[in-house]
Amino acid sequence: MSKVQYILVTGASSGIGSFISKCLSQNYNVIIHGRNTDKINQVISECNNPDKQLAFVTDLQQFEEIEAVLGKFIIEKDIEVIGFVHCAGFMNMLPAKMMSVAAIQKTFSTNLFSAAMIVKVLLQRKVNAGALKNVVFISSNISNFGAKAFSLYSASKAGIDGLMRSLAVELAPDVRVNSVLPGAIHTPMTSAIFQDEEKAKSMLSTYPLGEGFPEDISNMVEFLLSDKSKWITGQQFTVDGGRTIDISG
Amino acid sequence: MENFDVEIAEILEVDSVNMEDHLTSFDCWDSLTILSIIALASETYHVTISASDVNGAASVGGLKSLIQTKVK
Repeated sequence: MSKVQYILVTGASSGIGSFISKCLSQNYNVIIHGRNTDKINQVISECNNPDKQLAFVTDLQQFEEIEAVLGKFIIEKDIEVIGFVHCAGFMNMLPAKMMSVAAIQKTFSTNLFSAAMIVKVLLQRKVNAGALKNVVFISSNISNFGAKAFSLYSASKAGIDGLMRSLAVELAPDVRVNSVLPGAIHTPMTSAIFQDEEKAKSMLSTYPLGEGFPEDISNMVEFLLSDKSKWITGQQFTVDGGRTIDISG
Repeated sequence: MENFDVEIAEILEVDSVNMEDHLTSFDCWDSLTILSIIALASETYHVTISASDVNGAASVGGLKSLIQTKVK
């Protein structure tokens, strides 16, 4: 008897990850990952078919443990993970003079290292039986650009896009790997950016299509997970309302 | 907040600070310094302050009081 198939969404207890999980639950079974059980259960209760969705609680900053923890989870649940969406992210506006080893570790563990280790686990035949078909990393439009106080965050996002391209080549044709690069979307993670109402208004005025919402990112993720994108791999998809192509004075 | 004076002096790129020193009087005072102070409050004291909070604090002492109030 074939195993029940799932999409794993990390960072799914809030923000974009939560929204993506709820949307995906319309067509897939979803593993909702986060650090807080109550928050995850709340997201599951808002999903389609809540009884079919699974909670996966672990701290991605402890990325050394992911291989063992995720492998055990998949084997114990007796499931197959066919898709992986890495939404977990840590962002702290940190000028260069405030960089610290702790900040570097926290940023890279959550945004990049954990994603690499999760892909490794999902490729293990003894754990996931070659079930993985699709990976989508939520990167950022800053991956290809720069901004004051965003050095660590942008480096981690550039890193995940590098990981994405090489994995896409290495894993083809069995697994497709792509990135979505959102602009600033108001979520708990980006609350610092939106804290000052005037500055937020000024920033949003630089988006030709105006403010973006989690559904704008979710729509792209759903497309990349579907067969409609079956000839696409190794690509960055910027979804930022035109923010990064506007060179008007 | 026993190390606050040292931490804020480091951010303001001076050897030491006085509580009555005006924040805008420091040579390095700019938007990145404000972001550094916000990061210090968040990372070291686990409180959230905004750029307008920092500007409103006016002096080093005012800034210390602002963070102290939030810590409590």
